[in-house]
Amino acid sequence: MIHILPNQETQEILSKLKEQFGIQKIAGKLIKIGKERIFLFNGDFSDEQIKNLEKITFIEKIGIYIGAIFPPTGEIRLSIEGTQIFKDQITKNIFEIDNEQSKIWMQGEELNIQTGLRGIIAIKYKDNFLGCGKASENKIGNFIPKSRRLRSKNIIK
Amino acid sequence: MKKINPKPEFLEKMKKLLSQADFEKYERIIQEPLLNSIRCNTLKISPEELKKRLEEKGWKISQPWKEHPEIMIVGNELQPGELGRSIEHLLGYYYIQELASMLSIIALAPKQNELILDLCASPGSKTTQMASQMKNTGTIIANDVNIKRIQILASNLERCGVTNTIITRDDGIRLCEKFKLQDLKFDKILLDAPCSGEGTMRSSPKTCLMWNQNTIKSLSKLQKKLFKNTFDILKPNGEIVYSTCTHAPEENEEVVDFALKEFKDKIKIEKINLPVKCREGITRWNNEEYDERVKFCARIYPQDNNSEGFFVAKFKKIK
Repeated sequence: MIHILPNQETQEILSKLKEQFGIQKIAGKLIKIGKERIFLFNGDFSDEQIKNLEKITFIEKIGIYIGAIFPPTGEIRLSIEGTQIFKDQITKNIFEIDNEQSKIWMQGEELNIQTGLRGIIAIKYKDNFLGCGKASENKIGNFIPKSRRLRSKNIIK
Repeated sequence: MKKINPKPEFLEKMKKLLSQADFEKYERIIQEPLLNSIRCNTLKISPEELKKRLEEKGWKISQPWKEHPEIMIVGNELQPGELGRSIEHLLGYYYIQELASMLSIIALAPKQNELILDLCASPGSKTTQMASQMKNTGTIIANDVNIKRIQILASNLERCGVTNTIITRDDGIRLCEKFKLQDLKFDKILLDAPCSGEGTMRSSPKTCLMWNQNTIKSLSKLQKKLFKNTFDILKPNGEIVYSTCTHAPEENEEVVDFALKEFKDKIKIEKINLPVKCREGITRWNNEEYDERVKFCARIYPQDNNSEGFFVAKFKKIK
């Protein structure tokens, strides 16, 4: 079921993004599909046009998946695209990794390092945002979906 | 590379379409591997920056078409699947797309803030190309009928950071009828029609096994129905690009001829400027005479551009 978030719910999401990452504004409509998954749509179809479309056909997706609400804590875990879309606004909870770590990360493996951070953090390698991880004392848990993982670390430089 | 073995009946048809010299070139080129072509996803990175990054990896990058710097060829011999395994691909900085497949969007020339329908959208190469040219503005409705194909479409749109698109799952003809009832009309429509795929033998040799003339006949009927329905939901002065990846005149000029006869003074076929060598549409096939204006269509043959085979026609709705 597609739920176009009204202003109040959008503001609640924005306030979480602000608190977690320093994000100040969202350009476009936020849409929830299911309980946790958040999508960003910035086409110019109005809410009414979307509802009319839903009446006549099956809408599979609108816009892009930018993140999910992380159930245990209510934090928002941004997807790779989520971090890329907000790349110029993310100012907090960023952890920069090196080349070797980026290969391990993109293979979907956790990083066994101390970050000094706790909770959901944005992972960055040079100019590239690589989604979010969950930092605990000695490691960063990985959420890279299988379809986006590097299958061989020999390929990239 | 696996040898491509087209059926003798298919080769006979190609002989009728081409001169002897062209046919020999065609037979040779289909046995050669395709170029490694990619399209920079300008929603995420500039062509200059991507080129620099890929060259740092040791890849030899060329940009064959000056007016389209986002289109690149990787000149190195790569391992199978290597293009799809790079970090730049996983991060959505480029899309692996065959050169000929990029031509329908070059012809359509989507603009910012337009409302566009991509009726048979999966796997999303052309939808992502459109979104990129529209800078994620306007709205694209990307439809496909098959759920598995939609999953691939959704995953490609996500990887490429496409935010202006609504994915619908419906039968193409039925969806157009529903839009007509709601009076929803589009600035532009891409009808990249389901086809026999004769032009894709180099990348998909199994097409040779599946090829048969009866399928072509039934596809031709479907393509005409699809065209008829899409034309009805175009705004006045709206444009539609009809494309296929096949050489079969039944699926190409015959459909265009049908469109010109069906919509008479409401439709205008447009000349297309494409950055490759194109042959004009044929006006005669198997005792059928087509409208002279089918010459404005573009036939793209593998031997002319070292690409796959393709067909593009562009129309404008006059009234």
